[in-house]
Amino acid sequence: MRLFKTILALVVLLVLFILLNNTQGSIPPLGKFMNPFAGFWTNGERLDQIEEVIDVKGLRDGVKVVWDERHVPHVFAENTYDVYFAQGFLTARHRLWQMEFQTHVAAGRVSEIIGSKAIEFDRKQRRRGLLFAAEETINHMDKNPETHLILQAYANGVNTWIESLTPATMPMEYKLLNYEPEVWSTLKTALLLKFMAWDLTGRNSEMDLSIIRAELGEEFVNRYYPEDTPRMDPIIPSGKPWRFDPMIPEESPPPFEPQFVRDLRADEPDKDNGSNNWAVSGKKTASGFAILANDPHLGLKLPSIWYEIQLVTPDMNVYGVSLPGAPAVVIGFNENISWGLTNAASDVMDWFEIEFKDDSYTEYMYMGEWIKSDMRVEEIIVNGGETVLDTFAITRFGPTVRFGHYTLDNGHPTGLAMRWSAHDPSNEMDAIRGINVAHDQESFFKALEAFDAPGQNFAFAGKDGDIAIRHNGKYPLRGKDQGKFVRAGRDTTGEWREWIPDDQLPAISNPWRGFISSANQSPVAKNYPYYMGWEYDDYERGSRINDRLAALNDIRFNDMQQLHMDNFNKQAQLMLPFLIDHINRDSLSIVELKILDDLNQWNYVSDPQEKAAWVYKQWWLQLELAIWQDELTIFDEIRELPTRSVTAELLLKNKNLIFFDDMNTSQKEDRKQIIRKAFHTTIADLTEKLGDYGEAWELGRARGTDIHHLLSVNGLGRPGLYTGGGQGIVNATKKTHGPSWRMIVEMGDHPLAKGIYPGGQSGNPGSFYYDNAIDNWVKGHYYDIHFLSTPEITSESKLRLTNLRNYQ
Amino acid sequence: MISTLISLVLVFVLQLLFYSWWWIILVPLVVGFMEKDSVSKAALGNGLGVFALWSGMSLYQWLNGGEIIVTRVAEVMGAGSGIVLVLATGLIGFLVAGIAGYAGFSLRKVVIKEYQVS
Repeated sequence: MRLFKTILALVVLLVLFILLNNTQGSIPPLGKFMNPFAGFWTNGERLDQIEEVIDVKGLRDGVKVVWDERHVPHVFAENTYDVYFAQGFLTARHRLWQMEFQTHVAAGRVSEIIGSKAIEFDRKQRRRGLLFAAEETINHMDKNPETHLILQAYANGVNTWIESLTPATMPMEYKLLNYEPEVWSTLKTALLLKFMAWDLTGRNSEMDLSIIRAELGEEFVNRYYPEDTPRMDPIIPSGKPWRFDPMIPEESPPPFEPQFVRDLRADEPDKDNGSNNWAVSGKKTASGFAILANDPHLGLKLPSIWYEIQLVTPDMNVYGVSLPGAPAVVIGFNENISWGLTNAASDVMDWFEIEFKDDSYTEYMYMGEWIKSDMRVEEIIVNGGETVLDTFAITRFGPTVRFGHYTLDNGHPTGLAMRWSAHDPSNEMDAIRGINVAHDQESFFKALEAFDAPGQNFAFAGKDGDIAIRHNGKYPLRGKDQGKFVRAGRDTTGEWREWIPDDQLPAISNPWRGFISSANQSPVAKNYPYYMGWEYDDYERGSRINDRLAALNDIRFNDMQQLHMDNFNKQAQLMLPFLIDHINRDSLSIVELKILDDLNQWNYVSDPQEKAAWVYKQWWLQLELAIWQDELTIFDEIRELPTRSVTAELLLKNKNLIFFDDMNTSQKEDRKQIIRKAFHTTIADLTEKLGDYGEAWELGRARGTDIHHLLSVNGLGRPGLYTGGGQGIVNATKKTHGPSWRMIVEMGDHPLAKGIYPGGQSGNPGSFYYDNAIDNWVKGHYYDIHFLSTPEITSESKLRLTNLRNYQ
Repeated sequence: MISTLISLVLVFVLQLLFYSWWWIILVPLVVGFMEKDSVSKAALGNGLGVFALWSGMSLYQWLNGGEIIVTRVAEVMGAGSGIVLVLATGLIGFLVAGIAGYAGFSLRKVVIKEYQVS
């Protein structure tokens, strides 16, 4: 009996050990996690403490780090190696988990952490080829000795930090998910860069447009998905002449109807990834110095996508935001120049239908012959499960991201191959480094030549007074509409062979109007000789920015801050009065009348307290669906809708249009009827969701902004922020998306700058600096940036100094 | 109770040096094995020792710069408040160490008895 009890006790103990030492479903390993000596308990604010001296193995000389009141490190190093080593070391100190997790996401290695539920995600990610693109990129970058040094210094710095970690100081998410960091490599940095390229250029509508063309005809597509959308105010003003002899692309390939895409829809990054940037010349500013502003719009998460830093060596002094996981400053300024980015949105990804010989996918048809595919085997390691092998073919058109769904009439299986410019080797690190040390417009644009992907609009303002913008990147030479639809990957038609030369890219310098700007709209007017794509953002944001910049004079910081936070809804200004005119007041209920009156009195400014802003937005969405849902529901899915400006134009110009009729009713609807119906549906829907018309209908409450943790774990994010703005508005703040960094720089003798991003320097959810900027970001406030020239600090300043001591 | 004190101090020192949570199994197992008198002393004594250590230490962490992390984790775990987390931490310690103390004590009885028989 005693023996039995003893064995039982030991078995119970063993079971407890296993239960508490391992993750159970979504519950962390409680023994480890709750351990007050090394569990989450030790991830408190003590990790924020600033030491006076840290002994760091691997530095060449000593490095001085000045911390400001927001814990932005200002790094003073004596050589290039040390400055990037320190950047890696300090970024890892604040953001290690985030930077490593993002590279796992990019590489399709999430299953290694969270198990079998991520296998499909990983498989997709591998087939998109981010990993092999990163591998090739590193091979390419390593050929440049300076890039190699920078990447390796950064990696060494990260690894030195990782080695210094104890179970107690390990970032909290590792404890939550029960794993440990691995050694950082330069490949991880390349993965991160490719992931950004994917996020910014991975979206296009070729599959949908092919389906729409097959169902509704070529004319429908040409008319409602045009390259030049109504009211477009392009980045380069239409008056600019293009003085070069353009290359002539081959004739556009004949229409091709893919067999494969019918039941597919692309999984793509957020359509709303966009941004604003602008610069005004000294002629228009109160100080006489040029001012530059930028706010890149991205998915908003915690820890934040950006890490603020100043990097100083004898030959460089640059300040701005960096991507945690990559060296150097991506958006920022130095003593002589400032720059900002917006997404170019030109087409750098094409899809090709590939005809394979058989379901081994080892050979495909090209120019009438069977060509060998390059087979790639991916090993997906699964936490708590068996390793999954995934084999896919790489063709001359890129990796076959999709296959196995469709067979041609001749019995041959097909696949969809993705041709993407970011798969080609390029050295964006060299470009970024070149920008960081650039001293004028010429050296800035020279540096940009190495920046192939993602394509970006680079805005520039210099101390010498120059302002400029360039629609930069590596863009294939295309015939008109080439890349708008899935192509037949069976011959040379539609293949990418030549590129638009750098000196012929859309660009302008010191225009007569005294400002440059971009907001993801079309880069050029019709007189530009090349076709670059069609999926640009509508006119509203860009046009509003240009209206304001044209009207403003004697510009001060304050004006630029107001423009960042500008909530004027140009689309509502255009459409709302027109829509209201179609409503018959007699048929409305009392509440509907009240809402209509509020809409009528609304000044089109989408401030957070505006109920009308949210009602209008919903009304518009209902209207879009009323017009397009029946036609564009093809193979059980709503396909890509025409843009807002196209739909608006149709409504304004046509009393009656075949699309206004709902095909699912016997009645014949016209414009008036669908506008009314959409209004009633909107009010009914909102009442159901939000209750009676009142506070809950305010834009800041009904929508607001939720900033989630990267793992979407409740408790680690900041949901329910009271924000205004929205789509097509300069302040492009949405529910989970928006201005990820707001920066304004005045290029005087010593640059003056303000900036803020919705988060904080620390990635530790237990830190004060995890989300300390969020409330100020919501209010549209900025921080004064300390652009330091020396690491000397006085005793009364809020700055603190850490010496990183070279320790052998 | 002497076993309470011994396991508290031993676990404290070992965890300060080596962090791992399973010291709260190993130490009570040994301390329980050394306990000659009563099973309740072995089980309860170890359990209370580790309960005091784990709840005390977590309280200390909470009050020393742990406010933000404790608030957040309380929400992550649906615990409501930091006190619940402190108690839960202590209870895990009590449960594990108590059973380990009991197992150590029983093991001794089995081993000693068999030794006597042979």
